[in-house]
Amino acid sequence: MTLMSVEQLTKTYQSTNVVDELTFSLEPGKCVALLGPNGAGKTTTLRMLAGFIKPTKGEIVFNEERFSRDVRHYVGYLPQYPVFHNWMSGEEFLIYVGQLAYLTKHEAKAKAAELLDLVNLSDAKKQRISKYSGGMKQRLGIAQALIHDPKLIILDEPVSSLDPIGRREVLNLIRELKKDATILFSTHILNDAEEVSEEILLMHKGKMIKQGAISEVSETQGTTSIHLSFGEEPKFIEERLKEIDSVFNVNREEDGFIVTVHDINIARSQLLDLIKQEDWELTRFEIGKTSLEDIFMKAVTE
Amino acid sequence: MQWQTIFKKELTEHWRSFKWIWVPIVFIIFAIMDPLTMYYFPIIMDTVGNVPEGATMDFPTPSVAEAMIMSFSQLGMLGVLIAVVVSMGLVSKEVKSGVYELVLSKPVSFTNYITAKYVAILMLIAFSLAVSLLVGWYYVNILFGTISFIQITISILFFIVYFMMILGIVMLFNSFLKSQGLVAFLSIITVVALNVISSIYSHVITWSPTLISDYINVYFYSGQLETEIWFSSVSAVAITVICLITATITLKNKAID
Repeated sequence: MTLMSVEQLTKTYQSTNVVDELTFSLEPGKCVALLGPNGAGKTTTLRMLAGFIKPTKGEIVFNEERFSRDVRHYVGYLPQYPVFHNWMSGEEFLIYVGQLAYLTKHEAKAKAAELLDLVNLSDAKKQRISKYSGGMKQRLGIAQALIHDPKLIILDEPVSSLDPIGRREVLNLIRELKKDATILFSTHILNDAEEVSEEILLMHKGKMIKQGAISEVSETQGTTSIHLSFGEEPKFIEERLKEIDSVFNVNREEDGFIVTVHDINIARSQLLDLIKQEDWELTRFEIGKTSLEDIFMKAVTE
Repeated sequence: MQWQTIFKKELTEHWRSFKWIWVPIVFIIFAIMDPLTMYYFPIIMDTVGNVPEGATMDFPTPSVAEAMIMSFSQLGMLGVLIAVVVSMGLVSKEVKSGVYELVLSKPVSFTNYITAKYVAILMLIAFSLAVSLLVGWYYVNILFGTISFIQITISILFFIVYFMMILGIVMLFNSFLKSQGLVAFLSIITVVALNVISSIYSHVITWSPTLISDYINVYFYSGQLETEIWFSSVSAVAITVICLITATITLKNKAID
């Protein structure tokens, strides 16, 4: 069962396709990261999914049998730079947007209190929003997205503008929210995606260039990297390493070499054989999976 | 229910930004300024003016109707300006700052959004007009002679209809412009243009909404309500409705860029 399926979603501004024929679906209870460099079309995509810009072409079907009303009833949205009515207090604002989403005053109050607690703003709830720090505003932004118990939570760059502490708080919050709702969030920071999401959608120049579970996406790459460091750098080592048939690429790093290989088992024994045979002074031999960053760089530069 | 939520929020916002205090006060000043200075003009001249010895100056005291009309015409110019200024950011400011995005991510109906804001600001302006003109009427009654309460009430109600249209025009410009200054500028240009056109062709377009204040003046002079004032009011309401519907459609169709 899918929560939302998107087909050939396209948005055109002045004859350029900012978003170009995206097709994907969101499964309930998953946390999905929408990745891509700045200008990839992430925000435009999210705005279309949240139901307040119309796609030029394509379809967004929100679990068609169960929900037929305005999609905004089921979606909570946090814009990249949330702006509030600064003359209100945090609590007032939550109650206001709650009532906009058709909660009664009483329900809105109860929900606001619960969410203020969740995002750790209970102490500041009577303060005017103009006095809030950036991190507090971001947390209030998340709270307002959750006020009407949405089935899908869309967060646009929820952590990019935060300091490390704020970032940690928000990531923990996302991990908490994952238990009850589907989350789609955009980011250009790959670590964040790896940390909390199960699936990724990778966009570049409006197009979807990769999608799937993180483990799948990194496996389809078919390569693994090995980090090698030596006490004293042997002569012609780069050439010697490249001669090995399972080695795909060798990159010089500050503290050694990153060797990209096809088959890790073959490559490991071949490399260790060579090192033993030449008696090189090995100080580090580390097998690492391809990181999202590698996938990202590879996909984007292709 | 959603309508009331937005409406209440607007009233609170106007209250917290002190609009419910300063707008009526400024309107009262506009309404009493001219009648008072006209009445006390001879005394003011005596105290501050260098009137040569023996010179006699005869200032005709304005009639009751003239004095009351002064209040209306001051509000018809400066009052319009203030009304435009307090409403120029109603939508455009929210769109520009980005609050609009948060509000819109909730299932908010555009009709509710526009009309609740409109009614809230109309209440503020109507209240300010009523209070200020009643204060003006009070002074005119003391200083110049009698105007009946019925007559002033009817005049105020028609004057509010004229302001309804002005606020409708401001809402319309609000819906497609992000700059508050531009909203104010274009609204004022439109109102001025309407005024100029209808005074040039006042015999042809007797139903023009901007002639409402002219008909109110006639009402004070003659004590008789012209039939045309009803046509002018109907056209003012019609223009307001068209402006609000257009504003709603514009917002609905506009993508946030």
